[in-house]
Amino acid sequence: METLVLIGIVNGLVVGGIYALIGLSLTVLYGVLRVVNFAHGEFVIGGSFLAYVLFNSLGIAPLMALPIAAVTFFAAGWLAYYLLLPRLSRSDDPEIMSFLMMYGVSIALAAIMLILFEADSRSIDYSFSPISLKIGPVYVSTARLVALGVTLVISLALTAFLFGTLHGKALRAAIMNREALQIVGVDIVKLSAFAFALATGLAGVTGVLIALVFPAFNPFSGAEYSIIGFIVVVLGGLGSPIGALIAGLIYGLAEQLATVFLPQAMAPVVGFLILVGTILVRPTGILGYRAKR
Amino acid sequence: MPAAEVGAVPRASERDAANRIYFSVAAVIGSLVVLYFVLVPVVGLNLAFHFYLMLWITMASAFNVAAGFSGYMPFGYVAFYGIGAFTTAILVDKLDFPVLAALPFAGLAGLVLGMLFAPTLRLSGIYFAIVSLALAGICRLVISNMPEEITGGSYGLHLGSRAEPVLSFYVMMAVMLLALGTTLWLSRSRLGKALRAVRDDAEAADMMGVDVARVRLYGWLIAAFFPALCGGIEAWYTNVVDTETAFNTLTTAKTVIYAVAGGLGTVTGPIVGAIAMVWVDDLIWRQFPLVNLLLLGVATVLLVLFLPRGIVGTLLRHRPQWRRYIP
Repeated sequence: METLVLIGIVNGLVVGGIYALIGLSLTVLYGVLRVVNFAHGEFVIGGSFLAYVLFNSLGIAPLMALPIAAVTFFAAGWLAYYLLLPRLSRSDDPEIMSFLMMYGVSIALAAIMLILFEADSRSIDYSFSPISLKIGPVYVSTARLVALGVTLVISLALTAFLFGTLHGKALRAAIMNREALQIVGVDIVKLSAFAFALATGLAGVTGVLIALVFPAFNPFSGAEYSIIGFIVVVLGGLGSPIGALIAGLIYGLAEQLATVFLPQAMAPVVGFLILVGTILVRPTGILGYRAKR
Repeated sequence: MPAAEVGAVPRASERDAANRIYFSVAAVIGSLVVLYFVLVPVVGLNLAFHFYLMLWITMASAFNVAAGFSGYMPFGYVAFYGIGAFTTAILVDKLDFPVLAALPFAGLAGLVLGMLFAPTLRLSGIYFAIVSLALAGICRLVISNMPEEITGGSYGLHLGSRAEPVLSFYVMMAVMLLALGTTLWLSRSRLGKALRAVRDDAEAADMMGVDVARVRLYGWLIAAFFPALCGGIEAWYTNVVDTETAFNTLTTAKTVIYAVAGGLGTVTGPIVGAIAMVWVDDLIWRQFPLVNLLLLGVATVLLVLFLPRGIVGTLLRHRPQWRRYIP
């Protein structure tokens, strides 16, 4: 039983790290733009498919695919912002409208991936050597440990960016008070485009990591990740990057430990219950500060 | 609007005249709708298409009560639909209820679930939406993991050979008319006005003496009742209930899209939206089965970019003086 729990914890950290990254990108996006990006999961899975194509057609290892995915998706995000979002901010209910539009985008993206790759589940046949490492009494796949390492590096880099650099501080300022930021003289349109591109780039990178960690993915897996992303973001508090990181870890750990004690299919219920419980007790999430109704 | 001079016609009679026109327009539209749908089985038009059209009109209208009138966006709306479907299936299949007797219990189940979810009503915006989604997920997972004797596990439940297409069609029509009638009543009643006041500014409404929590609860329960009935009737029509289709998130998505396409906050909005979108969806299915999904996504994006208030909403924005005449 102890080995199972230990495996659960290690898996929980790996999976939680990925959920944390998804949550981080989503919370920056929501915080700066107030856009409910339902298509985020599809961007993530797009990253996985990119890694798949790069590996199978060009023989590029997933670790090399990380920077390629980052740049490609950053550019795609930048384009997507200017194509879709400026009109939205002028409507009278941007949150709901953005949800609907991004839902349409998510359906369209899933359909494109379906047309390109068909509905089969795909996976990447890449193995590190050695295939698994021994941590204490348990064996853990090296791919997962590598993914965990990459997740850590990215999270630290992002936190340093958000709290150390001027651009990062501008992003956080936009999350706190958009209007005040404009008064101070920051070009909010360019900053929003940057935030969207950054979030999308992160999503693409997370997708490559997912290809390493999870056994398979298909064009419809995106919806799951969108939902998990939002749960993590709300649990951590909207607009709080650190909150998203913590919440992602909690959710991942809860889910994986639940599989030790409950039937596999019930595992998400634990995560959902943690969300509902936390929000009812603390309506702004763990570290959020927006008012309740 | 002409300003009232001193000693001129009092405002109340203007308002009554407007209300008379309003209800006459509603009566005309209502009669047309009834006439059309009553004749569908008689004339031999596609029964399934019209059944689902009525279903979506009802779902969109009920959702309009939650979103347009009350200002909530329940991403987990399908939970009510699913619970209605399962209640009907369990009563009919396991306890041998006649379907017509089981349907009111489906509605009741929706109300009970609404009461259970009521504490979430104090959350705002996206928090409420995501918690609602999580609650629907919990419902789905709990039901699919319950013992097979009760809820049929992953196979779902069958209602035996009790399907009666024409009768269920007319029952669906009755429910749709009930939903439309409720929204019409709500749009001019005290409760409806209180609901919209709370939506616009809860503190101001509170100061005016509106019982905010109670008003929200009533609006929520109305919005919970109809999807449960829809779920039950659809279960009767298709004869099969399982967790994947009963708690499918696409149901919520379509409901939201159809309601917004028509125009939230109006009575005819959801009708127009549902008709337009169901028609477009069917058209896409026939002509372009392969890129059907892609076109649906693109159509949604275009809708939001160019018709953000929905069809009826955009019309009312360009002709605001019609607002008191168009339901």
